[in-house]
Amino acid sequence: MRLFWVYLLMYSVYWVWKTLYTQSPGAFGVSLKQMVTYAILGMILDIVLDVGPEWYIANQVRTGAIDTDLMKPLDFHFHMLARSAGEMLFGLGILALPAFAIGYFLFDLQPPGDATTSLLFAMSVLFSFFVFFHIGFLLGALTVITLDIRSIAWAYYALISFFSGQMVPLWLFPDFLRKISELLPFQAIYYIPISIYIRTLNGSAALRALGLQVFWAIVLGFVARWAWNRVHARLTVQGG
Amino acid sequence: MDGLALYFRLIRVAVKARMQYRADFFAGVIGVIVMNAVTVTLISIMVSRFRHLNGWTMWEMVFLYCLWLLGHSLYSFFFWHIRALEEYLVEGTFDQFLLRPASPFIMFLGREIQYMGVADLTFATLGVSLAYRNLHLQWSGTQWLFFGLAIISGTLIETTLVLMITCLSFWTGRSRRASQLLNRLNVMVQYYPVDIFGYTFRLIVTGLIPVAFMNYYPTLLLLGKLDPQSPWSWLGYMSPVVALTLVILSSGIWHLALRRYSSAGG
Repeated sequence: MRLFWVYLLMYSVYWVWKTLYTQSPGAFGVSLKQMVTYAILGMILDIVLDVGPEWYIANQVRTGAIDTDLMKPLDFHFHMLARSAGEMLFGLGILALPAFAIGYFLFDLQPPGDATTSLLFAMSVLFSFFVFFHIGFLLGALTVITLDIRSIAWAYYALISFFSGQMVPLWLFPDFLRKISELLPFQAIYYIPISIYIRTLNGSAALRALGLQVFWAIVLGFVARWAWNRVHARLTVQGG
Repeated sequence: MDGLALYFRLIRVAVKARMQYRADFFAGVIGVIVMNAVTVTLISIMVSRFRHLNGWTMWEMVFLYCLWLLGHSLYSFFFWHIRALEEYLVEGTFDQFLLRPASPFIMFLGREIQYMGVADLTFATLGVSLAYRNLHLQWSGTQWLFFGLAIISGTLIETTLVLMITCLSFWTGRSRRASQLLNRLNVMVQYYPVDIFGYTFRLIVTGLIPVAFMNYYPTLLLLGKLDPQSPWSWLGYMSPVVALTLVILSSGIWHLALRRYSSAGG
């Protein structure tokens, strides 16, 4: 059933970009095929990467079940990482690959490129998983203080999809918004891997972008650990 | 009329109950406003970079979205609770509404309000006024009247569609999948003018699940985009008619569903 929703979404972005490109073909040095591939990959990666560790943590904190997680002889940060990786692989196999196949046959997606591009893309997706996971983990850590994230979540998801270039690629942004996006870690989530796939980022630029992703993954990893140790100290378990 | 008075009384109680969590209320309102602002900015970036989308300029698109949002905000403020019907039916707690000496529909609706509608309403009003100024519109009294009617029709169309879909759960027990479909169609219609899509899609959102009447057709009329040559231009005026038809239809289904109702026990 979810595949059908994905299909509907693909259908809408396909027509939007097609209409825009009929008006001005080859705008911004990107072909329609690349652009449609960008938009549809943005949706497919969303299925894979958005595993939402924050919802798991928030739920455990709200119900008080978090104490059983903490009693396990396993580092909590590592436990969450493993759990999210599992969900990512599940999403990849059950939804993302079939969705890609649908997109490929119905909306004329660009096929994966040569071995180097594919390898860079795969690495990039892996790094973006680490970046996205840690941002979610930080939000989850925040719930220990606020006890609920539902109202923050609206703004959080909106800002992510904006600055990560999930729906509209960064090269279309006005200059100042683009500068801001480049300073934030969010572009490492969607913009970099997809740009590598459609080869608007290639050669040394692609390698630099990968380096940036690794940088953010490490920084956010440390921040997440530090933040979790801080909130762990003041964790109050409700009920239980 | 007694029913209406009762309804507003219930709503007052619901508002009071909600306002107990003031911090959550404000966080939620700000969140929804940020979300809308991001959405509109994304659309604007896209459209202004390409100058227009199939003849729709940036401010026309803002108007299209905000008209949808106006109707939707009233729906979500007053009628959001309809979605919860399924839970009441599954848990067998729906019986409580049937035992009271008032219309079960009103008792059920007055149970709760969704305050996020306030945020949507604020944002949409701002958006429409900005669009009105930037498009240099000068509406006559009749056009203002139609604008008001279009908003109310939008609210009623969304409400009745949700109600009819939710009523499915009187027969099937569950209706979540079907209401997700409505959501998805809504998402597509709310941002983009329907004319960019293919023929089948336009047929579906016009004839089968008429969400296009929430914003697309009235916007054509209000922004003077109706093509008088087209044999379909009368669709621009049809929103109130569609809304009324749906109200009649859904009230029929609701009563049919109530007769069909057998408690799950609980």
